[in-house]
Amino acid sequence: MTTVPSAHDVLVVDSLVRRFGDLTAVDGVSFRIAPGETYGLLGPNGAGKTTTISMIAGLIAADSGTVKVAGQRMTPATTEPRRHLGLVPQELAIYPELSARENLTLFGRLQGLSGKALSARVEEVLELIGLADRAKSLSKEYSGGMKRRLNIGIGLLHQPTLLILDEPTVGVDPQSRNQILESVEALSADGMAVLYTTHYMEEAERLCDRIGIIDTGRLQAEGTRDELIRLTGGVDTIRLSGSGDLAAAAERLRALEGVERVEADRRTATLTVRDAPVLVASVVGTVAGSGVTLADVEISRPDLESVFLHLTGKALRD
Amino acid sequence: MNGGAAGGLRNALTVAGVELRLFLRDRSNIFFVFVFPLLLVLMIGAQFGDSATAGRVAVAGADGGLRTQLVAELEDEDVVVSDPEWDAALELLARGRLDVAVRVSEAASAAHDAGEPVVLEVVRGSAATAQVVEQQVRTATEAVRSSRGQVLALTDRGVPADRAAAALDTAREGVEPPDLEVTNVDELSQQFEGLGQFDLGASGQLLLFTFLACLSGSATLIQARRLGVVARMLAGPVSTAQLIAGQTLGRWAIGLFQGAYIMVATSVLFGVSWGNLAPSLLVLAVFSLVAAGAAILLGTLLGNEGAASGAGVGLGLVLAALGGSMLPRELFPDTMRTVSNVTPHAWAYEAFAEIQRRGGGLVDVLPQLGVLAGMATVLLLLGAWSLRRSLARAM
Ligand SMILES: Nc1ncnc2c1ncn2[C@@H]1O[C@H](COP(=O)(O)OP(=O)(O)OP(=O)(O)O)[C@@H](O)[C@H]1O
Ligand SMILES: [Mg+2]
Repeated sequence: MTTVPSAHDVLVVDSLVRRFGDLTAVDGVSFRIAPGETYGLLGPNGAGKTTTISMIAGLIAADSGTVKVAGQRMTPATTEPRRHLGLVPQELAIYPELSARENLTLFGRLQGLSGKALSARVEEVLELIGLADRAKSLSKEYSGGMKRRLNIGIGLLHQPTLLILDEPTVGVDPQSRNQILESVEALSADGMAVLYTTHYMEEAERLCDRIGIIDTGRLQAEGTRDELIRLTGGVDTIRLSGSGDLAAAAERLRALEGVERVEADRRTATLTVRDAPVLVASVVGTVAGSGVTLADVEISRPDLESVFLHLTGKALRD
Repeated sequence: MNGGAAGGLRNALTVAGVELRLFLRDRSNIFFVFVFPLLLVLMIGAQFGDSATAGRVAVAGADGGLRTQLVAELEDEDVVVSDPEWDAALELLARGRLDVAVRVSEAASAAHDAGEPVVLEVVRGSAATAQVVEQQVRTATEAVRSSRGQVLALTDRGVPADRAAAALDTAREGVEPPDLEVTNVDELSQQFEGLGQFDLGASGQLLLFTFLACLSGSATLIQARRLGVVARMLAGPVSTAQLIAGQTLGRWAIGLFQGAYIMVATSVLFGVSWGNLAPSLLVLAVFSLVAAGAAILLGTLLGNEGAASGAGVGLGLVLAALGGSMLPRELFPDTMRTVSNVTPHAWAYEAFAEIQRRGGGLVDVLPQLGVLAGMATVLLLLGAWSLRRSLARAM
């Protein structure tokens, strides 16, 4: 689902550049996010994700390029577009000496909420981030995952049009991570646009409608998961092993629609195919028809990891 | 939306509110704000104006009949008499270690022996009890003069001096003693006039602790920057100006609170008189603003909390000492007193002296208030500029 640029885009980032001395941390990054869309920035450490986000949130100035949030230019000097943004910084940004409820109330008030609306919203968010029963404890007493969840809760208090999450699951136990991913899915289902940075490809695959792959300050490629995977050649692999003559079956396999390549010897065959889940049934049928008894069938599809490798020649994580 | 002046004020107040809450939540502050200042007021009060039961008098100057008899008279009254040099006596007086100093000059001693009028220089100290002791000195000098008058009357009639004294018991009446003038000349004594026992310590401690309480906030500003909450606020609809205003307001409120607490507590517990309340509070308010500006500046110039706390306490103590919050400025040598004018403490100290000791009102402290307001303006502008700079750097 490639989006057509629209006047209603929540975020328009155009040719952003930011240098730190000799280092160009962000080097001509452009992308857009449509209302309700979840966009992932996937890239390794030092790729320029946080720097990009800092410019989008108007915390640092861009050397060149522009950011528009809800149609308005965002710079460190503007305040108007900020109310549309909810920022969840990569580093925890909470007061350890205040409880979760106090932290939420404080930042809610700064977002312009007050009175009953504020306290109702605070309770709602406490539920959402699963801290309702610990709302009164000082946040310095929370576990790492609880602090992370509070950090996220503060960002979405004022129901922003665009929620920016900068690596929200780093250093979090699997249970907390799942909880975080679920709440992002829920927010997205409610229609909130999300900008999500991560270096975990599983998270990007699971959450994001579209993904931008970023490395050394440049957006290397962008699209839906499937679009990105097509960049690698977009082919799946089916591996077969069994008894009987697989080499003899190879010719009939090559004839199948969607099969691009077959390498086979007597006991094993490796097929390069267009769409393995669809093809696997006819592949198995063909092999069986050739008198081969299959011992194992293995399908492998390319993932974002292979996309990253394909684009940059590097592994996403070391 | 949070725009407009009302929204801005609301944001600033919210930021200030957090600062106050964090300050009060820090347990160590409870001791430093509520207990420690009173302990020091008590200690300094004890040092500067001992309410010891026995009066302490120094009798300095020429040896001779006058001095010996005066000492004997005073000791009869259970007064503790010492014999320091005159300058030393004045210093002891200023420190509250003495109630009264008496100088017996050569001329006075000779005049006494000759039966002529005697002028004694008497300086009274600042302690509340000094007045009583001065009265004791008066009585003693009169007794000395009167017995001298009688001795003179007898020797005039040919009685040997040694027998004359013995005969006095039977011939006490009928002789008019020569006049005695006790002068209360020393400026020092006038400086401290109108001060109760704890008053001097209290105003010094108020300045010291108000400034310290504000400066201790510079660490929380550094912490807020380091924790990223400052960036987070700025990512929302909070402007840098609102953030700075809020930080300043928070510091200022802490200083004001600390000062007001010391005023109330010392007046209730130690009977300290703060004079005219309105100008006193105004001095405190403007002084706290200076301290708030210093705190913001420190909190933005320094990079870590440990350094800020150390520098805060160091600066707070040095400025306080230099500004007369520990040793009264009146006792400073002239150059030191001039140098001490660079501190806000010195100006506030003078303003409090005007109000507490001389019943000064708003008009009398306008010069000091003006200087303090100028200091506050400069520091706040520098602090705002430096905070803006440090924020741009921190992200
Ligand atoms: N304030 C700064 N001063 C100097 N260099 C910086 C600054 N901030 C970022 N950089 C550099 O810019 C590059 C991009 O950093 P950035 O934090 O944007 O990466 P990132 O993609 O968020 O990485 P991570 O996944 O580790 O958070 C890095 O090489 C980093 O060292
Ligand atoms: Mg980052």
